[in-house]
Amino acid sequence: MTKVKKYWKGIEELENSPEFRKSVENEFPEELPVDKFLGNDALADTSTNRRDFLKFLGFGVTAATIAACETPVNKAIPYLNKPEEITPGIANWYASTYADGNDYASILVKTREGRPIKIEGNKLSPVTKGAVNARINSSVLSLYDSARLKNPLAKKTAATWAEVDKEIKSQLEAIAAKGGKIRILSNSIISPTTIKAITDFAAKYPGTEQVTYDAVSYSGILKANQANFGSAIIPDYHFEKAEVIVSFGADFLVNWLASVEYAGQYGQTRNPKNGKMSRHFQFETTLSVTGSNADVRVAIKPSEQGLAVLALYNIIAKAKGAATYDAGIADEYKEKLQEAASELLAAKGSLVVCGSNDTNVQFVVNAINSLLGNYGNTIDTATPVYLKQGDDAKMEALVAEMNAGSVDGIIIYGVNPVYTYGEKFASALSKVKLKISFADREDETASLVDYVCPDNHYLESWNDANPKKGQYSLGQPTISPLFDTRQAQESLLKWAGIETSYHDYLKANWQTTVGASWEASLHDGFYSVPVAQVAAEPVKPAAVAATTETPAAPATDISSAAAALRKGVSAGTTELQVYIKTGLGDGSQANNPWLQELPDPISKVTWDNYVTMSPKQMAELGLSRLERGDDNADVVEVTANGVTVKAPAFPQPGQKYGTVGLALGYGRTAAGKTADGIGANAYQFVSVVDGNATYAAYDVTVKATGEKYQIAATQTHHTLMGREAIVKETTLTEYLKDPKSGNPQVKLQTTNHGKQPVKDINLWRDHDLKLGHLWGLSIDLNSCIGCGSCVTSCTSENNVAVVGKDEIRRSREMHWLRIDRYYSSDMTEDIAAEKGMGAIDKFTEMEAASENPQVSFQPLMCQHCNHAPCETVCPVAATTHSLEGLNMMAYNRCIGTRYCANNCPYKVRRFNWFKYSDNEQFDFNMNDDLGKMVLNPDVVVRSRGVMEKCSLCVQQIQAGKLTAKKEGRKIKDGDIQTACASACPTNAITFGDLNDETTLVSKLSKDDRSYNLLEEVGTQPNVYYQTKVRNVKESA
Amino acid sequence: MHTKLTKVFFPLFFLFFLTFSFTAKAVDGEKLFKQNCSACHKLDDKKLTGPGLKGVFDRVPQPAEEWLYKWIKDNAALRASGDAYANKVYNDFGKIPMSSFTHLSDDEIKAIIAVIKAGPPAPPTPVATAPGAEPAQAPKGNTMLYVLLGLTILFLILINVLSGVKRSLQTLVNEKEGLPAPAELGAWGEIKYWMAHNKGIVALGVIIGFLWISKIGWDALMGIGVYQGYQPEQPIAFSHQVHAGQNGINCVYCHSGAEKGKTAGIPSANVCMNCHKAVQEGKLTGTKEIAKIYAALDYDPNTGKYGNNPKPIQWVKVHNLPDHVYFNHSQHTVAGKQECKTCHGAIDSMTVAKQHSPLTMGWCIECHRTTEVQTAGNGNGYYDYIHATYKDKFKGQPITVEKMGGLECAKCHY
Repeated sequence: MTKVKKYWKGIEELENSPEFRKSVENEFPEELPVDKFLGNDALADTSTNRRDFLKFLGFGVTAATIAACETPVNKAIPYLNKPEEITPGIANWYASTYADGNDYASILVKTREGRPIKIEGNKLSPVTKGAVNARINSSVLSLYDSARLKNPLAKKTAATWAEVDKEIKSQLEAIAAKGGKIRILSNSIISPTTIKAITDFAAKYPGTEQVTYDAVSYSGILKANQANFGSAIIPDYHFEKAEVIVSFGADFLVNWLASVEYAGQYGQTRNPKNGKMSRHFQFETTLSVTGSNADVRVAIKPSEQGLAVLALYNIIAKAKGAATYDAGIADEYKEKLQEAASELLAAKGSLVVCGSNDTNVQFVVNAINSLLGNYGNTIDTATPVYLKQGDDAKMEALVAEMNAGSVDGIIIYGVNPVYTYGEKFASALSKVKLKISFADREDETASLVDYVCPDNHYLESWNDANPKKGQYSLGQPTISPLFDTRQAQESLLKWAGIETSYHDYLKANWQTTVGASWEASLHDGFYSVPVAQVAAEPVKPAAVAATTETPAAPATDISSAAAALRKGVSAGTTELQVYIKTGLGDGSQANNPWLQELPDPISKVTWDNYVTMSPKQMAELGLSRLERGDDNADVVEVTANGVTVKAPAFPQPGQKYGTVGLALGYGRTAAGKTADGIGANAYQFVSVVDGNATYAAYDVTVKATGEKYQIAATQTHHTLMGREAIVKETTLTEYLKDPKSGNPQVKLQTTNHGKQPVKDINLWRDHDLKLGHLWGLSIDLNSCIGCGSCVTSCTSENNVAVVGKDEIRRSREMHWLRIDRYYSSDMTEDIAAEKGMGAIDKFTEMEAASENPQVSFQPLMCQHCNHAPCETVCPVAATTHSLEGLNMMAYNRCIGTRYCANNCPYKVRRFNWFKYSDNEQFDFNMNDDLGKMVLNPDVVVRSRGVMEKCSLCVQQIQAGKLTAKKEGRKIKDGDIQTACASACPTNAITFGDLNDETTLVSKLSKDDRSYNLLEEVGTQPNVYYQTKVRNVKESA
Repeated sequence: MHTKLTKVFFPLFFLFFLTFSFTAKAVDGEKLFKQNCSACHKLDDKKLTGPGLKGVFDRVPQPAEEWLYKWIKDNAALRASGDAYANKVYNDFGKIPMSSFTHLSDDEIKAIIAVIKAGPPAPPTPVATAPGAEPAQAPKGNTMLYVLLGLTILFLILINVLSGVKRSLQTLVNEKEGLPAPAELGAWGEIKYWMAHNKGIVALGVIIGFLWISKIGWDALMGIGVYQGYQPEQPIAFSHQVHAGQNGINCVYCHSGAEKGKTAGIPSANVCMNCHKAVQEGKLTGTKEIAKIYAALDYDPNTGKYGNNPKPIQWVKVHNLPDHVYFNHSQHTVAGKQECKTCHGAIDSMTVAKQHSPLTMGWCIECHRTTEVQTAGNGNGYYDYIHATYKDKFKGQPITVEKMGGLECAKCHY
């Protein structure tokens, strides 16, 4: 017998216990949890068995299939009583006003079937002249923000207006009865009728006082002017009259004061055609949009700003024979300051502005402007600007008052101080008995109050505005309130016992105080009164004291200010500059996905703020400089004034060595799902010094944490690497010698007949371009300031999807129009040749931007090539050429091979990697019934798997042609505007018919500065660029 | 190669229609009357919203033509001037003001007055054969089928008989020659036998059959989403035949968007009420259907008052274009001067509106290929400009919509 080895499966088998034997007999060691599976007993009683289930399944599938073949029953529900002005399918335009306490613009609102879908500038307005910025044209999406409150809240629970009014009124009356204090905390109110409503409210409740608080404060200027002119005003600046502009940290093209207006004025001075251009000096810490447009940019530390201003004063004062004061400025700035000063002195009109909020600095700036004779020329004190009225000292006093428990009631209107002013405000707020907020959402502040009485969105409201003396504009609702909200002014009137609607109240006030025809003003959107005729200042904002006769120029005794500046600040090795980004601004519209996804004009980063640092300093600290597309930024801890913030470090060429920058507007915690948790709150570093908010910290420590953070930038390569045909540029001196300078004709050698112009070398069968229209664009790189207004305007017009940070990291942004930003490099072909460098070394060095680079912006959309490489490779002819020069894209034909995108030399084609609408993964406005109301019904929402790109707003072209046909006339130049052209504040983009010789665009396309991008490729685009002309001296 | 590709692959549609149906600008009084007056006035003595115009020349202050001219041009001004008769008419007809026609030229108003003077046209003689033609045709189609079916059966019997005869003869011949009788194959066996000996014919038959079935399948697939003839039931039995046909109301009186924008639009209920405030009983359905308009508006015809519980009418959309197509009515009706019926068929004879055209891309393109654009000399500045660039290249050739880019993708798809 063979011995069979016995193996046990386990100790249980060896022991062979009765339990084990029982379990062996059972094949499945555990009972199948059938009961659990079925869940409830009721299922066992049902008559549905497996066969029935299959029957139902089969029936369901068949029914669905058959139903799919049925004619869809679509309902068409007409109006019962059609309003006369509405014709379905035709847009209505209304003139209105955007004023949010930061930006002001007279606007036109496009509505379709009662829904506002697009904001454009009002070209008739004498103030903004049709300019808008990214924040303004994106504001239409904020209307459809689902984070907005849908009804009033009382003690955090939903309530009705009747309940809320009753409770608030009784409490206000109780406060008034005992002589208690009520405070209305608001941003700068430029609406005369709102001020009247507040006055009426204060008349009913005598303890009421209004406190103006601006999150981004200009109280330094107001106080300096108070000292100089006896009234706290901001004068009207005229950049268009200035031959030399010197700005100390004022980002006046996109953020500072009335930037929308200034951008247009600045654009006027940048046309070399007239033989001259303004010369622009910028002394600043973090590279700003304004700084990147400057002819001379000097990076300085925040602590040196005051001294630099004083040093400039000294040079000018010396020349003018006025008193000078020792500035003690570092030697490195002396040369540029001297250059600026001598040019200022030589110029007929000049302007010196400063972004500092320090009264002393502004005092010296006034003195400089006074010495230069700019008052009455480029600075108009007779026309005060009312956009900013906040006094930081008064806000401090209010918080002290609240902490002392002496404020009985507070009404918060248009501001979010818990976010912008900080926790100090939250604790002070808790000591106020009656807390009311007009916030449109339960934001950081509104979540701490007793009653939230949500204000309408501005597109749902009546309002007026008085941005500067003599200029009035009206805001009108373009849609009924979407939710159960009420205009803040109406709430105030109601509580004051005035039962008229705000519309009637406004109309009466407009007619009596402004004295203009209501209908005409409503149609135009604005009304202007010559300043001299604004007799008794009928509608002066509360914070602006009465001005009688303003002196033409301020006194120039600045000794005390100079002494204060000279004393300086105790600066450490590293300083912090808090700055404003073009997209988010002060952060009030942070929950707007279009603005979050708008790449920052300078850094090209989306969806984040970050610590900007000089690349040199980052190398010293061992931080990643994000080279070659690396997006893993090192997280650093920035500590200043006892506050520590963690944020990724971002290498910013042009950032002053020894400084860091952090943008405002991020780090929201209660703005809504889009904004919450994104970035760090830079307001924490804002401190109040000498009664003014200071947007800098002078002793900062920056420490690496070892953590990594992925940032999403749309551009990761920053220099042109010696390529000359992309951004062509020249200097003013060269341009005046030869208008074609910097724009040589591109010639290529193909045969032994020598070099030929590219246009003559042709592999293609030409389209007949002479027939009918030939649409084209001309983009003046000299006027383009890179602000990004065109990008959001395009997004709004063409239903461009928001894809979110993660997709942008994968380079899958959908923007049809991008603005490429290039830095100059210290290494050029010439230098490399001189040094005899090898190609690898040369290109390695070319990749790095200069420490303080020259910057160029280049808006790039589909170039609508007449020899389009994309058209050739499409296997299904989904992209084809039209007789009118358009490169067309038929989405329904596209099968998504992406050959076209690969073959496009401009990389302007965008692929729909996903379905971005109705997709939980892309939870932005297109995944939301409310957010979808912003979509333009004339443009298809693209689906997954198709390519898309700039159509040159073909819907506008078609509509413009149709109007002309119906009216039986030729198309007038300017009749048709693309979204980008209409949104450009500096008119850098011009659209029109290239075949019509009378149009501006056809003239521009034949200009000496005009060129096609990558001309040597032979694509023959219909988009033309104009050479950038820098007003720099040859020595540079 | 390129142009050939264009022809083959790029057949897409476009909005420019212009026809050569553009007629000389003679004043057509009847058309003007139909467009401007017929919604409220009949030429006989029947009242609509306004009075019937029979005998109007005897009623109004004399000289009648002069008075009528003033009244038509701007009746509000005439009333304001204190004209007694004008005010009387206004008050008699429920103070519903008549529209002013200040935009009409003197000639046009005179032409309208001439039409009123001429009175109602003689009632058209009914087309006697029309009702009878339809039933007569139906059996005709069926008869053909029956005849074919009968013939088929006859032939089958014939084949059977003949093959029986053949087999009997074969049996006889075989018997004579001493061979065994041919095997009894049966009907199916016979067919198999025949097929085995006629492979070429069978193969041909199979191929033809396959192609035929493929064609049916292809046509069925191509028909998906094509709803030509779609005629849904509507919430109100509105008859275009009565309104547009018998009453001769101009299409754009109700579908006013057709000349303004992309959608022709379904008229809002207040447009219905322009007439149905007065016309409270319909020709076909009496008060039943008109009551639905009143219900929608919460209007009480007895008191003439509107309530505050209106409910919009949910019409069923007849023409459904896909979302990815941009179509603009005004392009075709105003710029292209197309008649409504070109695409919508004889709507004025439909009691229930029906989709006349297939609304497929092929249908659009076919029209764009053949329709000629009247570019030159029609007084349209836009086309004058375009024509200047076209005339050299296409000398002597008709300029069709296609030549102007009417088949390009981005004319309708964006």
